[in-house]
This record gives sequence, structure tokens and C-alpha cells, in this order.
Amino acid sequence: MASTLFRTIQIHPFLLYPTALFSRRNGVLYCTMKSSQSQTATQEKQQPPKVKVPQHALKKTVDKITRDYEAIIGIETHVQLSTLTKAFCSCPYNYGSQPNTSICPICMGLPGALPVLNSKVIEFAVKLGLALNCKLSLNSKFDRKQYFYPDLPKGYQISQFDIPIATGGYVDLDLPLEFGGGHRKFGITRVHMEEDAGKLLHSGNGAQVDLNRAGVPLLEIVSEPDMRTGIEAAEYAAELQRVVRYLGISNGNMQEGSLRCDVNVSIRPIGQSEFGTKVEIKNLNSFSSINRAIDFEISRQALLLSEGQGDQIVQETRLWEEGAQKTITMRKKEGLSDYRYFPEPDLPEVILTQEYVDSILKSLPELPEMKRRRYENMGLSMQDVLFLANDMNVAEYFDATLSSGADLKLAANWIMGDIAAYMKNEKLSINEIKLTPKELAELIASIKGGTISGKIGKEILFELLAKGGTVKGLIEEKDLVQIVDPVEIGKIIDKVISENPKQLEQYRGGKTKLQGFFAGQVMKLSKGKANPGLLNKILLEKLNAKS
Amino acid sequence: MAMGSSRALLILSNFKFKTTASSSSSSKPFFPFKTNLGTRNFSTKIRSSLQPPDLPRLAETARISLAPNEVEEFAPKIRQVIDWFGQLQAVDLDNVEPALRADTEGDNLREDVPETFENTEALIASVPSYEEPYILVPKVLNKE
Repeated sequence: MASTLFRTIQIHPFLLYPTALFSRRNGVLYCTMKSSQSQTATQEKQQPPKVKVPQHALKKTVDKITRDYEAIIGIETHVQLSTLTKAFCSCPYNYGSQPNTSICPICMGLPGALPVLNSKVIEFAVKLGLALNCKLSLNSKFDRKQYFYPDLPKGYQISQFDIPIATGGYVDLDLPLEFGGGHRKFGITRVHMEEDAGKLLHSGNGAQVDLNRAGVPLLEIVSEPDMRTGIEAAEYAAELQRVVRYLGISNGNMQEGSLRCDVNVSIRPIGQSEFGTKVEIKNLNSFSSINRAIDFEISRQALLLSEGQGDQIVQETRLWEEGAQKTITMRKKEGLSDYRYFPEPDLPEVILTQEYVDSILKSLPELPEMKRRRYENMGLSMQDVLFLANDMNVAEYFDATLSSGADLKLAANWIMGDIAAYMKNEKLSINEIKLTPKELAELIASIKGGTISGKIGKEILFELLAKGGTVKGLIEEKDLVQIVDPVEIGKIIDKVISENPKQLEQYRGGKTKLQGFFAGQVMKLSKGKANPGLLNKILLEKLNAKS
Repeated sequence: MAMGSSRALLILSNFKFKTTASSSSSSKPFFPFKTNLGTRNFSTKIRSSLQPPDLPRLAETARISLAPNEVEEFAPKIRQVIDWFGQLQAVDLDNVEPALRADTEGDNLREDVPETFENTEALIASVPSYEEPYILVPKVLNKE
């Protein structure tokens, strides 16, 4: 679940500096924002050109500065498709297999080999394009993107340059409540098909290449620069993960590399129409890294700009260092790369018919956004909606429980409460617990209908989760049916009262708190089956009678 | 439409005529036709509308090393080839819808069914520098 991975920025105040110093610095920094060429006393605390941001600056100062700027963020995402074979040859792909075992002349780029497109790639591309509300190009083509690198066997990557398969879409999402919530809509510029390169591992004086991954199909998704904060960007990435998982086209795993994000960040003073210098950030391996890296980069750029060192911000690629929690220069971009794109002569045009597109549209499952809106319309709170809809498996379980007749709010509470806690403790996913949605519905109905008490319900839940079985079966086996007959409860109460004359005296003498003691004894005697409400009502009557 | 001819222009200027000479400076480039094209009569309109390529940069991007004398020698020849293709500019494309690609057959698709290539040993054997299970390559600093 994406939201549980998020942490707010931890900027540790470096309390070596006494507060008096801080307020002076604060004042000086405020002044420098107005002038452009100021070398003030603050310089000694930062090291130009690499400003070590949050180490020295207290969070307040950084926030104050960044408030004057607007960040423009765009994300390029590569999704590795879960097809059985590669894009242009029939080699299978399995993550983690022995290097250089899934190869053939085509994906090795040997002379004479010709690519043949995997039809599933088109299907997955159309699915994603439709799910992202894009316009599909019924006619598109492949192009060669040419450059030399050891993990690129052919010396070019087969991609789509000027006529991608899908353009002009958007995603709708809801920001997690712990970050302020809110609905967002981010534009998608394009989606196109391409192939992956092999894996390059640096070692000693050279490098090692594994071509198992070369030729694996990818979909590249380019967003509009609509994101403004780290959390928006991270949630965008999380939504893409949800969508590809819901569609079943990729497992969307950032750690495994089946979902890769590169982020572009630039900032400009609020009110300015020209964009600032764009910086690319790579090596982001989780949603929280995306969040933190962007926030760091915004602060870095804002601080430089506020000190008149805007020229220190250059168009470059930076790496996010997870350990140090900062971005560092990878290399400066020397002009734009010349990939000498031209249409791939070995592949025919990609032609989609409207019927084909329509049939795929009909087959799409309910997507995350639709599910969220449906749950919201059913009356669930935003918090419930996000929890239940964000994980495809949880949503499926919830829907199944509802279709077995369970009450909406109760089902939501059980899943989000006791069941989620159990899953967390035992480190299980919802697919691995033994309690079926049908039985959960049965449990809810049994409690609601009064067959068993809520307390007993919670007790057998644990057994149902761990071992499965049916609610009816357990109730019978353990004789758990609630006692709701007032006469029978009365009898038990009478027994308890007669066995505890001393407490009865004390109660009648004024110690009314002892009611709890009696209630406990009755429960014990009834093996927890007495209906609590009735119990207390009748108990009170009997205790207060005969005065 | 002007769009048609400018598309042709784009494709032509992107198209780099590949010489089969790899990196050695002594072998002569292979041209599929006689190089006495200079005697052909090109219209000046064609010659001026197509930009000559920056040959040293092209050679760099193609990882082909050229000595200065070769740059001097090849530049006009490559220019001639481009101008030869430039004759296409004379075609009137005003009423022609631009094509995405120059083929007439439709898609040639494959089912998503795995097939292991049987002779991977031969593939590995042809790799010049191999240390089980990796292909060894020299260190490369910059991704282009």
C-alpha cells in the first residue's frame, strides 16, 4: 500500500548553532532573496556550489524560501510488460534466471535476424492507453533510436518516436489523507511501445553484460508536467502501479525493476511564466524515494535561486542517494542527444481497427478510479475508500464479501480493523488468509442477527483466519450460540448472586461498581454466551430489587 | 501540400548513408554507383534546399573514425548522394496524404508463446570475451 510507505521529510535541525545565531541568519537570508549578488555571512555555512541543504538550514527557513517558488514536475515511467515472451522474439522472460540463458539471434542483434512483433504487446498497449483515457493512434509505427552502449546489442533500440500508439490522456487520483488528501488530475502526454536493453553490471576494470532482459517489451508513459510536489509525484507513480496491476499487464514492482520512474524537476518564482532549468533525477527505487528526492531537489534549487546562484542549476541528470538522502550530479548534459531516429524498416505499420479497440475497451476491468468513486457513492469515508480500493486484492475481497450479502460499513470495519491487523502480524496478503469472503459475510450476519455476540465473533475470527472453516460449523462445534432468553439469563444471575452474598451486601451498601464483578461472573458461568445488553439489564434489576 | 515534401525532406536529412568502412582509414568506401555524378545536371533549387551533413559529427555519432583528409574527401561525395536523392523534391505531393511507412503489407504478428532457442551454446561461443555467465565488455564512461 503506497500510503503506508510515505514519511514526511525528516529534516534534522542541526542544533550546533545557538538560536541567537539562527535568528540573525534567518534575517540575513530573508534579505538576500531580494538582491541578486549577495555574498553574505551565510555563505560560510553553505558550500557553494553544492548546497548541503537540510543539514544546516532549519526546516522553517527552507519552507519559507520554497514558498516563493512553484515546482514543475514531470515523470517518465517505464513499465515492463508481463508477456510470456519478449517483444520481437519468442524467448521467454523470467526475472532472476541464470544470465544469458534466454537469448537468441534476434534479441542478441546478430546479423540477419529480423524482429517479429508479439501481438500481446499491442493488446497491453491498447489496454493501458484506454485505461489512461488516451486517444489511440489507429496507425502507428516503430522507429530506431540509435546509440552505442554495451547493453544494447543492435546499437539501436526499437521504439516509437513521432507516432506513439497513444497520446493525450490523464489519471485521476486521490492524495492520501495523511498528506492532506484532495483530488488530483494529471495529464499523460503519450504512451508508446519499446524494447528493454540488457543488464550491465560494472566490475573492476570492465563490465559484465546479461542479455536475458534485452528485448523485453516496455511501455513508456510520459506525463504532462502537472505535478507540483513530491507527494503528488509519488501518488501518480502509485496510481500507475495500481492501474497496470488492475489491468494485469505488469506486476509494476519498483524493486524488481518492472516499474521504473525518472523524474524531471524545475522551479520558477511564483508568477513567472518561463520555466526554470530542468533537472532529471534517476535511481528512484520506491514511491517514498520519489517523494523525498523531489522535495530535496526543490529545496536545493530554491536555496540556490534565493541566494542568487541560479546559474548553479544546470540541465543535468542527478542520482538520488538513498543513504545520504540527497541528489548528486551524475553527469552534465552536453547538449541534447542525437538519436538519429528513422522508421524501423524491418517492422510493418501497427494498424488497429476500431472493432479491436472497442472489444478491448469492453473487456477492461473496473479501474481504481471507478472503484474509488463507486465506494464513495456507496457512503464510505475517504479513508475507507483509499484503503479498500488501492490494493486490487483487498478490493476484490471486499466486493466479494458485499456480494455475499454483508453490511457495507461492518464489512469495511472488519477488513480494515481486525483482518488488516492479522495480516500485518502474520505478514500475509489478503489472498493468503483462510477466511473466505463468504464466511466473513456469514460472521457479520451472525453477529448482526444476534446468533453470537460481538465478543465471541472476534474470538472465532482468529481461528477462521488461521484455519478456515465455516462460521456455522464453529458455532455448533463450540456451542457458541448467544443466550438471549431472559429467563435463562435470570437463572444464571440468580446463581451468581446467591454464590456471592458478601459482594451483594457491599453492592447494596453503595459499592455500585461491583456490578462489573457480577457481570463478569455471569459471563464466566455462561461461557461468554450471555447477551451483554440483556445481562446488564436483568442484573441491574435483580441487584436493585429486594432492598 | 507542403507537409508532404517537408516530410520527405525530414526523412532524407535524417538518413545517413552508411559506409561499410569501419574504423580503418585505409579502406575505400563502397558506393553502389559511379562517383562521376558531378557531371549530372542538378537544379540549383534542389542543391540549396537540403543541408549538407556535419561530417565530423556524423562520423562521431556512428563511431567511425575519419582522418581530416578523409573528411575533406568524403564530404562532397556524401553531399552528392544526398543531392541525388534530392531529386525526389521535384515530385508534386500537394494532393498526396503522407504515409507513415513505405510498405503495403499489414501487420506481421506473433503469438505470445515461448520457444527456447536450441543452440545458445553457439551464440555464447561466438562472443569474443565471455566469462561464465557474463559477456565481458570494456568499461564505458558515458551513455551517449
